[in-house]
This record gives sequence, structure tokens and C-alpha cells, in this order.
Amino acid sequence: MKVLVVDDSGMMRKILIRELLQMNFRESNIVQAADGEEAVNTIKQDTFDLILMDWNMPKMLGIDAVQEIRAMDVKTPILMVTTEAERANVVRAIQVGANNYLVKPFTNEDLREKVLQLVGELPQPTDSVGLPPQQIDLNTGRITDDL
Amino acid sequence: MPQQQTDEKPQIDADLVNAVINATVDVFKTMANTEATFKEVRAEEDYRASGDISAVIGIHGEYGEGMLALSFPLNFANLLVSRLLGVQPMLLSSEDRCDGVGELVNMISGNTKATLSLNSGHIYKLSLPTVILGHDHHIANRPKGAPYLVIIFETEGESFSMQVAFKSHNGTN
Repeated sequence: MKVLVVDDSGMMRKILIRELLQMNFRESNIVQAADGEEAVNTIKQDTFDLILMDWNMPKMLGIDAVQEIRAMDVKTPILMVTTEAERANVVRAIQVGANNYLVKPFTNEDLREKVLQLVGELPQPTDSVGLPPQQIDLNTGRITDDL
Repeated sequence: MPQQQTDEKPQIDADLVNAVINATVDVFKTMANTEATFKEVRAEEDYRASGDISAVIGIHGEYGEGMLALSFPLNFANLLVSRLLGVQPMLLSSEDRCDGVGELVNMISGNTKATLSLNSGHIYKLSLPTVILGHDHHIANRPKGAPYLVIIFETEGESFSMQVAFKSHNGTN
């Protein structure tokens, strides 16, 4: 499951990525963009299962990036993660195509709940090379799935 | 309600101060897992930040304009930012530290802005945060004639301050 994290703050991108990793998203499937323009260009070249989008960023605001992404007929779920807490802004974001909204500051549980709502189910735990957990039957020598 | 203004002392806007206090306490608790306690607020004609690092953000709208700044001692900034990231303070880069303090003021300002808009109906916008490093630095980008409201907090034995300067377009602070 591939995620695009868009925020001009490197700190906030790190916080979001840390939380995504705890939800079992793989690091190699998490892509970062530092502004709306970079996000739009990234989406032109790649497909994602989820986009986390800040609002206030240089070059292109998150709200404008959402509009452009929807104009490209990209239907990837978009979660706005922003300090813009006014109701009018929430409504505007939904109107232009965001699927859900999370106001900073947020707890781990808040983010997890919103992500889960948008992707349906979280990725299963995998090992460092992306395989599901396995165990070796010492009697038969066979490797079996742990789950 | 704003407190009564005298000839000598600048006015303190209680709604603004309360919005900043509530936002600061909420952001510190949610993101850095620490209880910030409000200690005092004072209005000053000029202010020199007592910390080593400040993050400043501009707020503007049809009603007025101003700035909010958050200042810390360097060691305490390290501790807070390490908690934001969930890493040891010694593992932080200078960029992490600046980014983290900027993100804290961004969240506090966003929450403050939302409360002010809800209470007054005025729409405000925020600038992107700027971070200043250096002991005993001076933050000068306030609206002309607006006093500094210096709001002091304490947490875990350390003091830090939010500084707010705001002036409405009709001339009141």
C-alpha cells in the first residue's frame, strides 16, 4: 500500500511517517513531497493508495493541490492534515475533493482512525524484506505463514 | 472581555490571551506529552526573547494583523522536539530542532486563529513560520504601535514564552 506524505515541515513528515510505519506501512512505499506543486508532479508519475496533505505550504497550497489532483481524475483518498481548523475550511476541503480531515495537533489514535477509514484495512505486519511473518517447523523443516 | 485600558499600560486582549494559552497547553499535551502551565501574562512596549531559539508566524486578516512567537532555551527545545519525533535529544540535527519549533508555533497559531475566528467571525490567515537562533535575540516584526503580550508558561521546571502582538486595522490592540 503506497502513501504520499505532503507537508513543508520536515518534522511533520517525519512524525507522520513514524506513525505510518507503526501502522505497518512499508518505508519503501512512503513517498514525501514538500509542497503542493511537488505533490502534483509526483502524482503525475506514480500511483498511490493514500495521500496525506498539509494545507499551508509554499509554491502551492494543499487545497489547490487537491483541486489539481482531482482535475487529473485521480481518485486516491486524500486526508488533509492541517492546522486549518475553521469549519469553513473543512467544508471547502471536502468540496474540492478531500475525503477526510485531521486537525493538528493530533494523537496517534486520531491519525490511525482516519487512515483506517480511508484505506479500509491497514497493511499486515511484514519483515524487513516485505515478507509476511513466517515460522519454521523444526520437525518437518517446512516454512509456514505465521498468521 | 478586554481589561480596562489605562493611559500608562497597553491593553491586554483577554480573548486573544486565552486562545493562545488554550492552544499552547493543547499542543504541548498532544504532541509532546507534557503539561504546560500558564504562569503570567504581561504587556510590554518592547521585548527581547530570553530563549535561544524562537519561531515566529504572522497572522493577518481583514480585521487586523500581528505575529505570534514561541521562544525556548536551546536544551528545552531539544527535549521537546525529541519527544515530537520519538527519538533521543542527542540524535536531533539542527534542522530537526528548527523544524520542530516551527511546527509547534504553527500548530499553536493555527488553533489560536481558529478560536479567534469562531469567537469573532473574522477570517485570518497565517504566514509560514520563521525560526530565529541566537541568545538574547530581538523579534522586531510586529505591527507598528502594537505592544507585545508576553505569556509565560512553565513545564517540567523550565519556563518558556509565547509572545503575541496584534493590532486591528481600526487601531486597537
